[in-house]
Amino acid sequence: MKRVRLGLRFALVVLLLISLLAGCGGPGSQPTGQPNEGQASGKPVKITFWNTMRDYEAAVVQELINEFEKQNPDIDVEMVTVPFGEAQNKFKVAAQAGNAPDVLRAEVAWIAEFAALGFLEPLDEKFTDQEDFLPSALAYGKWNGKTYAVPQVTDALALLYNKKLLAQAGFHRAPETWDEFVQVAKKLTDPSKDQWGFYMRQSEAYFTLPFIWSFGGGLIDVETMKPLINTEGAIKGLEFVKKLRDEYKVFKDDRDFPNDYNTAMQYFKSGKAAMILNGPWATADILTGEAFKDNPDNLGIAPIPQGPEGHTGSPVGGHSYVIYSKSPHKEEAWKLVQFLSTKEAQAKLVLELGLLPTRKSVYEMPEVKANRIITDFKAVMENATPRPVFPQGGLIFAAMDQNFQAFYTGKKTAKEAVEAIVKEWEKLGVKP
Amino acid sequence: MFLTPVALVMALLVFFPLVQGIAFSFTDMNQYNMGNAFSEPSYQFVGLENYRNVWADLVAADSTLRPILVQTAIWTFVNVFFHFTIGLGLALLLNRPIRGRTVYRLLLLVPWAVPSFISALAWRWMFNGSYGFFNLVLTELGLPPINWLGDPFWAMVAVIMTNVWLGVPFMMVTLLGGLQSIPRSLYEAAEIDGAGRWKQFWHITLPMLKPVATVATLLGIIWTFNMFNVIYLVTQGGPVQATEILVTFAYREAFQNWNFGMASTYGVIILSILLVLSAVYLRAMKAERVEGVMD
Repeated sequence: MKRVRLGLRFALVVLLLISLLAGCGGPGSQPTGQPNEGQASGKPVKITFWNTMRDYEAAVVQELINEFEKQNPDIDVEMVTVPFGEAQNKFKVAAQAGNAPDVLRAEVAWIAEFAALGFLEPLDEKFTDQEDFLPSALAYGKWNGKTYAVPQVTDALALLYNKKLLAQAGFHRAPETWDEFVQVAKKLTDPSKDQWGFYMRQSEAYFTLPFIWSFGGGLIDVETMKPLINTEGAIKGLEFVKKLRDEYKVFKDDRDFPNDYNTAMQYFKSGKAAMILNGPWATADILTGEAFKDNPDNLGIAPIPQGPEGHTGSPVGGHSYVIYSKSPHKEEAWKLVQFLSTKEAQAKLVLELGLLPTRKSVYEMPEVKANRIITDFKAVMENATPRPVFPQGGLIFAAMDQNFQAFYTGKKTAKEAVEAIVKEWEKLGVKP
Repeated sequence: MFLTPVALVMALLVFFPLVQGIAFSFTDMNQYNMGNAFSEPSYQFVGLENYRNVWADLVAADSTLRPILVQTAIWTFVNVFFHFTIGLGLALLLNRPIRGRTVYRLLLLVPWAVPSFISALAWRWMFNGSYGFFNLVLTELGLPPINWLGDPFWAMVAVIMTNVWLGVPFMMVTLLGGLQSIPRSLYEAAEIDGAGRWKQFWHITLPMLKPVATVATLLGIIWTFNMFNVIYLVTQGGPVQATEILVTFAYREAFQNWNFGMASTYGVIILSILLVLSAVYLRAMKAERVEGVMD
């Protein structure tokens, strides 16, 4: 009898534990927007800043904030690091509820959507030195004729290459056209040694965009809301990538979608892939790889090769500071944004982290000019292409990722894939 | 009288959100019209339109929902099957008097003690086509590597492997509890009557285990059906939705596309499927028990 009770009790405790655990987990944990304290008490005003940078990057921002707090003893800044992948949803949820942070570091594709939802403070009156900022970065912050964001950093995909490997094969500069690219990549590929000329990420549409643009295709014409993804150029671009894989066999066809960012980096860092497409955010990591750590100059940074008709293109990305429209401390929030966006603050941030500034004047500073990574990327930025700016602009990638994956796995032809994308985009307001 | 507080808490925690969720499924609610702390909601009642859309998609030639339903069924059935068989096997092994039994039991609980998202991320890396553990082992053995997460079939195998690993400990512990509540005297009596091990298992262990096993598998079905973490973190539903199940699909609709009306509709559908499934399952178990030897 005793045994029966023991067994039952054991089972019961287990069940209870499970139901408790199940109740605790889940993605539902609410963001903690700090309530703001009253100003009248003479205590410093507390403002919250959500940062989406990685820890080693956030450390540099924290140094800037410490400096800001020293200069403004009446303002207390609480910086919260929110994982980049969660920030968009977290901010929306918090903003709907009325307790979003005063300042957010927003990815450029989120801004139009947040602005259309009424969550962002227009900055036109305060933001007066706009002509010093790169127009491509500034464009993402404009919605319905108003400016909502101050660009922090900008980026674009470049052709990153291993100079030593290319030189060994007799190439002393980066390929400038896709034809040259094929030659170089073929010569550097030896599947028996797991050695590849290129490593292509097939999971995310973002990394296929350079091919779409350089073959004359596009995404969406925002003026008319007509799709450009179903044009001949876009289809040719897609087919070219497949030809690189199946006909020239210059990159490994592993279609390992969830892992392919890390795998691409691993191949390139160890010198097993001679070329990849990636942005400035990856350079700090790449330089720790065995092919580069003793000789950082081995990392070549070149614009995306040109297509048959001389087109090129690379998606402009980046991040900007935005201010929550319902923040009770907009003045203080603006002071912080202004401080973080000065020429000196930007220079410190980009020099320490190898990122690209958004102020033209920063590019003119001697220390910045002496930074090879920034100057090399500047040439890439000059030919880069802004993505379509409209509220659903951040949502266009879901359909592209799915259908490009279907194309790369052979489930759909290029034409079927782009037609399916247009069909999905109709829900976002695209008019076929 | 005494039930009032309970009824109140239940109403607040269970029925109110449930009714609200069902009500949302009849609206066109999205992030622009849902209203917030500063503006009134402006979403419209659209009647059965969301349900009509689901139905239209279900019968369409290039339906997105139909393959997802099939995948959900495969996912649920295969997972619970392995949870139960492996869990029962381990429980039987651990129910015997062996040395260090507690240590084994504790070790076998590890998968269950680690937060599932951490396990899922670790498994994703083990499935890596170029650097993953499984392909390293395969190539060491002279076998060709498998394209785990890029091939629709193997991606399903991969997520199921992960989830089986995660789910077996619960089944094992629960069944072990059940096994221990079976009085030894029954086995002793059977032995005297000359019943062999197999007969004992078939006529004593299984029937006596049934109440515990029924509840445990039903819970397993419900959890597996709704298991979001593993799918989302290992394959993100890919490649090309080959491992998408109903909950991950509904999640996308809610938190990627922010169509709450449509997402609520999927929620109601998930709830209905589970209710029907549970009712049928419990009835089948009960019917069998009435016919069974023990009653």
